[in-house]
Amino acid sequence: MKISGSHMLAVPPERAYQMMQDPDILARAVPGCEALEKTDENEYRMKMKMVLASLSGVFDGKIRIADLNPPSSFRLIVEGSGRPGFIKGDGLLHLAANANGGTEVSYHGDVQVGGTIAAVGQRLLDGTAKILIRKFFERLAACAN
Amino acid sequence: MATTIAGVEKEKLVGKRLRRREDPRLITGTATYVDDIHLEDMQYAAIVRSPHAAARILSIEIAAAQNSPGVIAVFTGKDTEKVGGVPCGASLPGLRVPHHNVLAVGRVYFVGHPVAVVVAKDRYMAQDAADLVEVNYEPLPAVADPEKALAPGAAPVHPEWPDNVAFTFHQDGGDVDKAFAEADVVVKQRITSQRLIPMAMETRGVVAEWHGADRQLNLYTSTQIPHLVRTLVATMLGLDENRVRVITPEVGGGFGSKLNVYAEEALMGWIAQKIQKPVKWIETRRENFLCTIHGRGHVDYYELAAKRDGTILGIKLKIIQDVGAYHQLLTPAIPTLSVLMMPGIYKTQNIRADIVGAFTNCMPTDAYRGAGRPEATHGIERMVDILADELQIDPAEIRLKNFVANDQFPFHTATGLMYDSGNYAAPLKKALDLVDYGKLRQEQADARKQGKWIGIGISTYGEICAIGPSPATPAGGWESATVKIEPSGKVTIMTGACPHGQGEETTFAQIAADELGISVDDVLVVRGDTSIVQYGIGTFGSRGTAIGGTAVYFALQDLKEKIKKFGAVLLESDDVTFSGGNVVCNKTGQSKSLPEVAASAYRAMKLPPNTEPGLVSTRFWEPPNFTFPFGTHIVVSEIDGQTGEVKIRRYVAVDDCGNRINPLIIDGQVHGGIAQGIGQALWEQAVYDDNGQLLSGELTDYAVPRAHMMPWIESEHTTTPSPVNPLGVKGVGEAGTIGCSPAVVNSVVDALSPLGVRHIDMPLTPEKIWHILSKGA
Amino acid sequence: MVPQKFEYAAPDSLKSVLQLLDAGAKPLAGGMSLIPMMKLRLAAPEQLVDLQKVKELSYIRESGNAIHIGAMTTHYEVETFPVLLRKCPLLAETAAEIGDLQVRNRGTIGGSVAHADPSADYPAALQALEAKLVLIGAQKERTVSAAEFFVDAFTTVLEPGEIVREVIVPAEELGTGTRYEKVVQPASGFAIVGVAVRVRRSAGKISFVRVGITGLSNHSYRATSAEATLAGTTGAAADVQNAAALVAEGIDANSDLHASANYRKHLASVHAARAITTAISRAS
Ligand SMILES: Cc1cc2nc3c(=O)[nH]c(=O)nc-3n(C[C@H](O)[C@H](O)[C@H](O)COP(=O)(O)OP(=O)(O)OC[C@H]3O[C@@H](n4cnc5c(N)ncnc54)[C@H](O)[C@@H]3O)c2cc1C
Repeated sequence: MKISGSHMLAVPPERAYQMMQDPDILARAVPGCEALEKTDENEYRMKMKMVLASLSGVFDGKIRIADLNPPSSFRLIVEGSGRPGFIKGDGLLHLAANANGGTEVSYHGDVQVGGTIAAVGQRLLDGTAKILIRKFFERLAACAN
Repeated sequence: MATTIAGVEKEKLVGKRLRRREDPRLITGTATYVDDIHLEDMQYAAIVRSPHAAARILSIEIAAAQNSPGVIAVFTGKDTEKVGGVPCGASLPGLRVPHHNVLAVGRVYFVGHPVAVVVAKDRYMAQDAADLVEVNYEPLPAVADPEKALAPGAAPVHPEWPDNVAFTFHQDGGDVDKAFAEADVVVKQRITSQRLIPMAMETRGVVAEWHGADRQLNLYTSTQIPHLVRTLVATMLGLDENRVRVITPEVGGGFGSKLNVYAEEALMGWIAQKIQKPVKWIETRRENFLCTIHGRGHVDYYELAAKRDGTILGIKLKIIQDVGAYHQLLTPAIPTLSVLMMPGIYKTQNIRADIVGAFTNCMPTDAYRGAGRPEATHGIERMVDILADELQIDPAEIRLKNFVANDQFPFHTATGLMYDSGNYAAPLKKALDLVDYGKLRQEQADARKQGKWIGIGISTYGEICAIGPSPATPAGGWESATVKIEPSGKVTIMTGACPHGQGEETTFAQIAADELGISVDDVLVVRGDTSIVQYGIGTFGSRGTAIGGTAVYFALQDLKEKIKKFGAVLLESDDVTFSGGNVVCNKTGQSKSLPEVAASAYRAMKLPPNTEPGLVSTRFWEPPNFTFPFGTHIVVSEIDGQTGEVKIRRYVAVDDCGNRINPLIIDGQVHGGIAQGIGQALWEQAVYDDNGQLLSGELTDYAVPRAHMMPWIESEHTTTPSPVNPLGVKGVGEAGTIGCSPAVVNSVVDALSPLGVRHIDMPLTPEKIWHILSKGA
Repeated sequence: MVPQKFEYAAPDSLKSVLQLLDAGAKPLAGGMSLIPMMKLRLAAPEQLVDLQKVKELSYIRESGNAIHIGAMTTHYEVETFPVLLRKCPLLAETAAEIGDLQVRNRGTIGGSVAHADPSADYPAALQALEAKLVLIGAQKERTVSAAEFFVDAFTTVLEPGEIVREVIVPAEELGTGTRYEKVVQPASGFAIVGVAVRVRRSAGKISFVRVGITGLSNHSYRATSAEATLAGTTGAAADVQNAAALVAEGIDANSDLHASANYRKHLASVHAARAITTAISRAS
């Protein structure tokens, strides 16, 4: 599934970029993130608990950052797998300064899911992806303050 | 039609709308399915399946599962490597058959591929433990679309065959190049027949029970082919075939999906030996979506050459068959049936067909109601409409022009078949009369002026039933029957056909009751146990009555002769006839009833010359040919111009399946077939994403038609007996599905024809139609 | 498809239910949404508290110009209850569109709203009705509007330990015309789009209009700009079209196998026009 969109952050691109590479901030911003540790340069391992109404699942995940081009773009690869199946997201994020000194983060990428969630959750994917991404940026914005 | 017994007329039962004798147990919920079988100390298996369409298995951690409460064993592909591969029964020159382990070894090839199996005390414990099996995969690129699989650079499904070609097949008939050279017009179209899920209401299920001291395996399985399962599972497990007993209790629908031998059947047999206890596995609906064969999966490229007057000169067809990751029992044979059927019921003698079977990282395709014939009928019936549109000839007229004529039967087709009998214009004319075609076209013209989208779709189908003569059928195409008249005169029929919902417990009893002049209540039809029933082939390809019923018929003829002989002894006369359930002395008028004669045949006080005691006959009937039913379906549909939604306003089906033993059951078969045809035309589709994930993997997304979604079906018939068998029957199990989808699509294309629309691929979802409407407007 | 192990309790008083909820139990109503997810093991609650025996949650009561519907009232009861048929026909008509008879016999209004499936039918009607929901927990009871209640896909303002106690809908004023229009997803029976409309007329003009939408995006909503456009007009065909064209304005619609976001928006407008037209024809 293709995804794209954009969100605003109230900090300039340099700061926004830095925040999105900071394990502590990522741990706070990634929805459901219960633990995040750095395993390698630009690579993190995490435990995610996804709860959506009565749906819940624990995922072991990996975050990888590539194609670093500070402060204007980078590639984010998120992988998670757990009993309900697996998720893989691969997206390119662009950061651009906006008029009020903030940053517009636009993204486009691809989300892949497998297992039970792919088969029984296809109608929910679009909406769920939107919720998770929105939550991520909301929390990131909170961290910025 | 009636025989006289001492002045009393006994009405013939063949031709009567008798209610199905199997129904009381089904509708009262007292029938026994595999899941209803409970054996002492029975264990439950849960299967761990791959979430990836293509991946290397790096490791499998089973310790946690082994230590989980109630678990008695966990097995992986390493343990089962010695079990024989899941068999492919079809053969084609150059066919590439990947070895198909019952549990994956080293690599998985489709989502749902079995990787490990957990056996525990109950179903819950088994599933809990299965969740603890940790499989470490290295995902590999996958391919899920057959055309993409064949494109250069595609990910190889099986690394040993990087081009993903599973097989190719070519057939030429007549002189197709000449036909195309001489043609006034050639019309071309790419037509797809989407992947479908057969969706039997009862999922698959197996109970295996091992009697070690006797080296005997009892296998309860929901299948259409118990004897073939016995032969093949015995081979896979290295057991003696006569020590494997396959029992098929009630089967809650198969539609071809249980015309197969599955990994789980052998796996459970193997586990039962390992654990020395009975084991049960019941497929979940999720598994049924992922791991029971799918149907269709065609991309067809058609070219039709014709004269300006509408005469079809030749047909070229290239089929790309989505094979899936493996060949199941008949996978490669299915598209060859499409080739056989490609001329439809038209007389053109020039054809060229090419099939390419493409491996994909998906569940294998195989026989699903119609198996190859719906695809072919859909193709030719769509092409004839496209030709009619090109030449501006009425679709009914162009069909009449090209039909094989009544005096041409038996008719040799360009694909090598011999059509047994037919009167193709009769059902078409009847259907046209039923819809009042002339008036309907006028109404359509008026409706168009008011901005309404009304369409009329005609499908004049022909199909292949009674599959089939042994030379044309993998594993043999005959069928067997044993008829026993017990000492009390009650009659037991053991059919090798293993009917499972088609109603032969009733129709075979009707045949026997008429032949023996007794009540249907005196006849019992037994099926589905290889220790009781002689070897048989099974029910598929609309063969049950035409072949299995004929075997019953011939066994009855044997017994009638023998009854006469024993009656003659009792009546002390050589001049006797057997009629109306009595042997009657033609001289004295004295008679002996069937029970009296039967008792004497077993008591054997005095035997007729050269006659053994008892009244039992077993027949294996080899049909000399297929049978070829046909008919016309007409659909009137209306499209909501704002939303694109299709409503079927009328559905008229005129089917000719030869002689009709039980019209009520025939109606049921036609209705069910049409439901599945409409399902394909409008709603159903197995959607795999590019990574081989089945997105329509539950009933929340896969739209099987429910009763309230069906139109009223006006069902009529014509009767053209088949000369192939003495019953004159042809078969009707798949006709509805085969005739239906082109009628629906033709009607919708007809409705949209003012926009220049010539073809729309199934399913005709509202959104697809809306896009067409918005572009057109 | 068998669930994971769970504890099960079925007390007959609301008080005991609330205690169990406070201790972390999950409520089970009709089970039509929860049980399938448990069987797929997508949901794995450790303890279920079944509300089935709690009489205090199963009622339909008229009081003043409001109708109070207990959370455990089944869809079938809503569909057929005489007071609702007469005084809140929109809700009854909506209930009749849910799933099939078996589902309507077991599924409950409380379960449906709490589950907050973005394709559920009730939310459209509840938005149009400006319904209120009474939520109760061990510590407190509070009342929220439908507009506040539905937050996102499968997300409501319910806090842990809190349940929906009742749904309050208005008893319609005489002459109100209402209509629920639904595009059925052919596999699940849920709404690809659902539109609920209420209108009143006075002196030949549309004096009151409410439009509730479900299915289009992550949660139901009131299409207020469509309402504003229609209000005050005579409700002629062109007025209806103008209003209906706005129902999906600014909405981030979802896509799935059955309908793309654009098609969903289109369907919302088409069916809004139809629903408004029928509602007007029913208003007197
Ligand atoms: C085949 C099928 C078709 C369907 N079609 C439709 C349809 O067309 N339209 C539609 O709208 N719905 C449809 N549904 C869903 C149906 O309406 C469900 O009944 C409803 O969504 C949930 O209600 P329930 O009482 O069954 O709740 P449950 O399944 O018991 O519970 C659902 C969730 O709500 C929670 N819960 C239950 N009661 C309360 C409460 N009082 N307070 C707080 N939380 C609570 C539970 O803990 C659970 O998380 C369908 C369901 C099925 C199985």
